[in-house]
Amino acid sequence: MKKTVQIPLGSQHISLLEPIRFKFECENETIVGVDADVGFVHRGVEQACTTKFDFKQVGFVVARVCGLCAITHSLSYTLAAEKLLDFTPNDRIRYLRMLMVELDRIHSHMLCLAHTAENAGFEALFMQIMGDRELVMDIQEAISGNRIQFDFIAIGGVTRDLTPEMVTLLHKNLDELSGKIADLIELFESNWSLSLKYRGIGALSLEEAQIYNALGPLARAAGLATDVRVETDDFPYEALGYEMMLETGGDIHARNRVRLREIMNSIAMCRNIVGNLPAGEIMEKAKGKPKGEVIVRLEAPRGELFYLVRGGGQNMLERVRIKTPTFSGIPAMMEVFKGSRYADAPAILASFDPCMSCTAK
Amino acid sequence: MKFFNAFRKKSPWILHYNAGSCNGCDIEILAALGPRYDLERFGVINTGNPKQSDIFLVTGPVTYRSRERLVELYCQIPEPKVVIAVGSCTAAGGVFRGMYNVEDGIDRYIPVDVYVPGCASSPQLIIDAVVESLQILERKSKAIETPFKLFGAVETVAGKLSRLGMAKKVTDAED
Repeated sequence: MKKTVQIPLGSQHISLLEPIRFKFECENETIVGVDADVGFVHRGVEQACTTKFDFKQVGFVVARVCGLCAITHSLSYTLAAEKLLDFTPNDRIRYLRMLMVELDRIHSHMLCLAHTAENAGFEALFMQIMGDRELVMDIQEAISGNRIQFDFIAIGGVTRDLTPEMVTLLHKNLDELSGKIADLIELFESNWSLSLKYRGIGALSLEEAQIYNALGPLARAAGLATDVRVETDDFPYEALGYEMMLETGGDIHARNRVRLREIMNSIAMCRNIVGNLPAGEIMEKAKGKPKGEVIVRLEAPRGELFYLVRGGGQNMLERVRIKTPTFSGIPAMMEVFKGSRYADAPAILASFDPCMSCTAK
Repeated sequence: MKFFNAFRKKSPWILHYNAGSCNGCDIEILAALGPRYDLERFGVINTGNPKQSDIFLVTGPVTYRSRERLVELYCQIPEPKVVIAVGSCTAAGGVFRGMYNVEDGIDRYIPVDVYVPGCASSPQLIIDAVVESLQILERKSKAIETPFKLFGAVETVAGKLSRLGMAKKVTDAED
């Protein structure tokens, strides 16, 4: 008789937003092997970027690769296209773009925290965090006109300007939010029943993080100091108060703590950006056709986002290659599952914040 | 029958399936169930079980691999049921229209009752659609609506594999 049992999870599952199928090889309650199938949402965005759309439209198409880090996708492509066009945006444009990326990071991290809480069985905490998240959504709606999928960034600049009313709203909501995040940090530290589900569950050690090339909050929770924001100089993150958040535990609790502290850091950076906003035009003319090849790396909420764009002086691009954070992080994710209990699988899965739409494109 | 309809109107349960969307509409559905918009106070509960559901919320243009799951889930929901297509890609493909792995909207496979516009459609619109679907649910009978044909004969257009003929209605195919 076989010693192990195979248990599937997905593709349609209540605790997962996205269609992904896991096959867990279980021995009693313990998971010993994992097989993941991520291709359910493959749409063919990369080919469409080179055959169907003009290079000026591609920024809005790649934003639809993912709903949560849409702004990072469109920013990565826009930076790549602007490098090919030899165009440098002014400081006001760069600051406004940074502001929206950081706001996006806040709401993405909060959704992940809420989702992890729900999958671990804490419905009330899910509701609480989703309620607090609406504060950020209000700011995004006021600035860009849409809650999600705001097409804020275009080649040559940004589409909308900040008005004094938006700045007032931003300060008011961020003040309220930072108090609530401080309460959440306190709650995650001290609550006993939360610690049962979070502490020591799904741990990834530093060596494993290095071997399996972990990225983003997953790596920083294991103590691996990797963040594209300090490795590149496209944006002045250091000058605006960026700090790297490192933890050593590598478990769900450490990942949650990294996310919570990054939210606090992003709030501080948003305030700095709005406080030091330079004057200037929000949209400038970028002339020419893209020619050459360029690589752009940016830090999405989940980790490193990698874009390769090649153009041949035509309206259509020759190649757009997207490598997304979850795709690079899958080996580390598979490693974490081995040895943990099946009952913890949904919470561990949510704590990675996997994005299948990004991965399958 | 009126007796059951009264209950169904008070607490329609929903089944949510992502058939290839970018997650934008999915997190808006989550936000609609969250505390600010709070669909749950009307008895609308997100279930994972098709057998207990009345409303089928679908997001995304149907990708080639997710269409079987879509039709399977649709068949498993007991009648009467309402299908809501959330977002512009679910209605007609949206920005993904004509991409090689995309089937341009769920109405090529299953009958849709309510279309929700927007990219991404906002929670207010999703709530409107659910309220609208309650009236449709009341009107609907127990009669079974067949899904359209899933796997037709493989057609080739100019030597290439074409999936255009696969989404005919069952009645059309038999004629």
